[in-house]
Amino acid sequence: MSTGRSWHDRHLGPLFVLPATLMLVAVLVFPAAMTLRLSLTPEGGSGWTLTLIHYVKAFRDPILAQTFRNTFAFVALSLVGHLLLGLALALALSQALPGQTLFRLIALVPWTIPDVIAGIIFRWVFNPIHGSLNPLLQAIIPGFPPGFSWLSSPTLAFPSLIFANVWRGYPLVMVMLLAGLMAIPRELYEAAAVDGAGRLKRFLHVTLPGLSTIILIALALDMVWEFRRFALVLSMTGGGPGTLTEVLSTLVYKSYFQFFTFEYASAIAILMSVVLFILSLPYIILVGRER
Amino acid sequence: MKRNVNLWWNLAVVGIAVGLLAVVTAPAAAQIKVRFQTWHWGETPWVKSLEEFQKTFNQANPGIEVVRDDSRYADKESVFITQSQAKAAADIPHFSYRVIRQLADRGYLMDLTPFVEKEGGAKYLAQWDQAALEMCKYKGKLYCLPDDLNPLVLMYNTVHFKEAGLDPNKPPATWDQFLDYAKKLTKVDRWGVGIIGARQEGLFMRFNPWLWGAGGDYLTADGKRSSLDTPEALEGFKFYVELFTKHKLVPPGVIEQGAQEVRTQLAHGKVSMIITLPAAMGIVQAINPKINVREVMALAPVPVGKKKVTSAWFSMRVISAFTKNPEAAWKVYRTWHDRDSQMRNFKIAGVLSTRLDIKNSPELKNDKFAQVFAAQTPYVKWEPLLAEWPKIGDAMITAVQEALTGVKTPEQALKDAHAATNRALGL
Repeated sequence: MSTGRSWHDRHLGPLFVLPATLMLVAVLVFPAAMTLRLSLTPEGGSGWTLTLIHYVKAFRDPILAQTFRNTFAFVALSLVGHLLLGLALALALSQALPGQTLFRLIALVPWTIPDVIAGIIFRWVFNPIHGSLNPLLQAIIPGFPPGFSWLSSPTLAFPSLIFANVWRGYPLVMVMLLAGLMAIPRELYEAAAVDGAGRLKRFLHVTLPGLSTIILIALALDMVWEFRRFALVLSMTGGGPGTLTEVLSTLVYKSYFQFFTFEYASAIAILMSVVLFILSLPYIILVGRER
Repeated sequence: MKRNVNLWWNLAVVGIAVGLLAVVTAPAAAQIKVRFQTWHWGETPWVKSLEEFQKTFNQANPGIEVVRDDSRYADKESVFITQSQAKAAADIPHFSYRVIRQLADRGYLMDLTPFVEKEGGAKYLAQWDQAALEMCKYKGKLYCLPDDLNPLVLMYNTVHFKEAGLDPNKPPATWDQFLDYAKKLTKVDRWGVGIIGARQEGLFMRFNPWLWGAGGDYLTADGKRSSLDTPEALEGFKFYVELFTKHKLVPPGVIEQGAQEVRTQLAHGKVSMIITLPAAMGIVQAINPKINVREVMALAPVPVGKKKVTSAWFSMRVISAFTKNPEAAWKVYRTWHDRDSQMRNFKIAGVLSTRLDIKNSPELKNDKFAQVFAAQTPYVKWEPLLAEWPKIGDAMITAVQEALTGVKTPEQALKDAHAATNRALGL
C-alpha cells in the first residue's frame, strides 16, 4: 500500500490554478512589462534599443510636476471627504431605524454609477445656465447670482470636482465602516455607559478604536482607487481650466492618445505606479500583519 | 482508481461542451464584414446619410457587409490606437486631417497607392481637389482620399437681428462691426455670440480665424519656431477671449462649451451668432425642430480683421493597416468616395465634398447656403502639419482656457503657450 500522494493529487492543484495564473500574466504582467519596455524605448523606436530619456524628460516637465501636486491634493481631499461622509453615514445607518435597509440601499447608489455618467451628471448639475445647482442656491440664498460658474472658475473648479468625487466614492468607505461598526461588541458600549461615558466619549473611546484598523484599510484601498481616478475628471473638467484639475491618469491619456507620445506616456505611467506602490506599502504591511 | 475515472469523465464532458460551443458559434456564411467607423453614427443628420450608404452598399454587394463601428468624437483616436495596438482596428476609420501623419508614422494606416494605381492612378486622383489631395500624401505614400472640406462661416439668427434693430441682410463684415453687433444682440438671458472654450479639437476651427485674421500664426514661416510672441498673435488671441472676459458677450461657463453646446445655444435662441460649418444647419434643425433653420438662420463669411481668412473642417477616411480584407475594404472605401455617395452626403447632411464634380455640380451651385461655404474655400488656412501639432494645439487650448477664466492675463497665457510651443519643437 502506497502512502505517497497520487499523480493527480500532486498535479491537479497547480493545474487548476494554471488558467487563473495565465490570465493574470496576460492581463497584468504582460501589459506592465510592455509598458516598462515602451517607457525605455526611444520615441518612435522599436526593438531593444533602450533609453532613460523619457524619465529624464519627466523629471524636468513642469506640467508633470504640477499634475503630481494636483493628484496628491485630489487624493488627499477625496479621502478626507470619503472618510467624513462615509463615517457619518455608517454611524447613522448602523442605528436601528425604520426603513434601515432602504436607506442603506439608497446610500449605495453613487457607487453603482459609472464614473463617466457621474461626471456628465455633475457637469450638468454645475452648468451655469441649465444646471440644477444654481436655481437651488438661488431659492435658498437670496441674491445668489444667476449664471454662476463653477467648473469655469479657477478657484471653484477643483473643489467642485472634489465634491463630485466625494459623492461618487464615499459608499466604499461607508460599507466597510458599517461592517466594522456591526462587529464592535455591544457590551463595550454598555460598559462605557455604565461608567458614565456620554455619546462623544463612547464614540472617541469605543467606536474609533474599534474601527481604527478598518479605517486604515478603507483609506489605503480608497487611496489606490482615487490615485487612478480618470473618467470622472475627464468627463467633468477635462483637466481644465487650463491644467488646474489635470491629474496623472488624464495626463497619461493625453500624452498617449492625443500627443501620440506613447513612450513618454508609458514613462509617466511607470512613475505613477511606483508612487502608488510606495503609498500602498502601509496597506500591504497591515494586511500582512493581520494574516 | 475511482478518482482517476472521475477525472477523465469530467475532462470528456468539458471537451464535448467546448466542441458543441464551437459548432454553435461558427459563422453561418462566409460574409465579409467591413467595419465602417465614425463618430457620426449617433448624430443627426449625418446618420441618415451614413445609413443610406450602408443600406445601398449592402444591397448592391451581397458578399460584403458594411457594419457600424461607433466611436465618440473625442475618443476616435484613442479607440483606433488601442484597436491598432491589438491589430484589430476598424477597417475604415474617420479622422480629421490633423492626425493622419501621426497615425501613418505609427504604421497604423494602409498605403492606398496600389489600389489607386489599379483604378487608373493619376487619372483617378484627378477627380479630387488637388490641394486637398496633397494633405493625404506623406513620405511618398497616399494614405487617404480627401473626403469633406467645409470652410467655417458665421451663422446668425435673423430674428434676433431684427429685434436688435440690425439689418439681417447686412451681417457684420469686420471685427469692429462684429463686436458692435454682438453688443447690440446681448440682452438679459441672451448673448451676442457663442464661442468654444472646451478642451476639444473643435476649438481650433473657431479660434484660428481670429488668430490668423489678426495676422498672427502659430509658427514662423520656416515652421521651426513659435510665432505666438508677435503683437498680431496677441491681438487675435485677446479679441477672442475678451468677447467673454471684457465685453461679456458670451454665455457663462465658456470653458464647458464645446461645438455641440454652442450649436444648442444657437438652436434655442440663447446666442445670436456662432462660427460654424455646413453640417450645422441640419444639426441645429435637429436640436430644435420647432424652428425653420433655413428661414431663421443666415450665413456670412467670418468677419475680416487684417486678413481675410477662415479655417475648415477637413476630414478623411483611411483604411487600417490591419484590415483582414483589404480588397473588400477598398471596395467600400472607393464606393464611399464615388460621386453618388458624396452627392448623397451633400444632399442629406449638407457636407461639402472635395470631389470636383460635386463642387461644380448644379445642385451645389443652386444651394444658397452651400454657396456661402464654398465661396470661402480660397481663404481656408490649415494648422501646421507637424508631428508636434497635438502638443502645440494643447498648449493653445490651455492658454485660451487660462485667459478665459482669468487664471492668467491674455498676455501671460499666450507667452506661456509660446514657450510651450517652442518646448514641443525641441527648442
